[in-house]
Amino acid sequence: MSGCPECEATVESATKIPGEVFPCPDCGTELEVLGTQPFAVALAPKEAEDWGE
Amino acid sequence: MSNPVRIGLFYTIVRPEEKALLQAAEARGLATERIADDAVTFGLERPKELPDVVLNRSVSHTRAVYASRLYAHYGVPTVNPADVLERAGDKIRGSLRLAEAGVPTPRTVVALSPEAAMRAVEEVGYPAVLKPAVGSWGRLMAKVESAREAEQLIEHKSALGSPVHSVFYVQEYVPKPDRDLRVFVVGDRVVAAMYRRSSDWRTNAARGATTEAAPVGPELEELALRAARAMGGGVLAVDLMETAHGLTVHEVNPTPEFKALQAATGVDVAGPIIDYVREVARR
Repeated sequence: MSGCPECEATVESATKIPGEVFPCPDCGTELEVLGTQPFAVALAPKEAEDWGE
Repeated sequence: MSNPVRIGLFYTIVRPEEKALLQAAEARGLATERIADDAVTFGLERPKELPDVVLNRSVSHTRAVYASRLYAHYGVPTVNPADVLERAGDKIRGSLRLAEAGVPTPRTVVALSPEAAMRAVEEVGYPAVLKPAVGSWGRLMAKVESAREAEQLIEHKSALGSPVHSVFYVQEYVPKPDRDLRVFVVGDRVVAAMYRRSSDWRTNAARGATTEAAPVGPELEELALRAARAMGGGVLAVDLMETAHGLTVHEVNPTPEFKALQAATGVDVAGPIIDYVREVARR
């Protein structure tokens, strides 16, 4: 269980893995899973200029 | 019996694609190691513990190219290799490869300074499309309809300061239906294809284009495979447009997403990628 850094909503998941990016269920901010034991999230990295497919 | 292959998944962020790849590897009994591209360091000496093959899924072109070079230095093959990433990840180099291979591609003019950019646009004619050489998802792409618009855009881009923004990749605007085609190539075969439709002139799925499965006829298959081979082969998504004169390839993507493709076609894309990665490890 962790708090969204943007809206402080409680975020938890048993199925997510480190590095996974997902939207906060409350405010929609993109979050990144930092670790699962304990479950911790941070704001997802911002898209950089050289990002793409 | 040979040892099971150990795959290093090199990533920036874990998206549904990366999860599907990890699951496909697990389903095949292959060990995986997740390598975050913002955390790993590389020395000049070969580390003792290395995966047998690295599946390079970094969304950063810069990190992806260096990582594939560094793993190659250690003798670890990567999918895709650095040469392929460099060619397909840089639109200028990619266009050169397509032209050299005789693959139809939109008329393109490159200018290396803001001063020359206006001439490049005039040579292409209006409307013209200006794209950054590196990066995708439709970011920083612009369609200019007139000299006035082109001048303003060139001035804005050069004001960004970075030398890369003073390199101009100018392409003819290709009138096409409200859709383009994406063909997913793994090794020497086409895995699936889809149409991407949008009311916007950019049809990137990341920009909200809708998708539907596309049939893969012999012409489409042959052209997509030629385009992929022109980049050096591997796991590549070939983007094509339908014109009055036939199909034309406007881009080849070396670190392709496939969530939308899997949803549109029902085809398992992750599985063939992992099979290919295993094959590369065993070569």
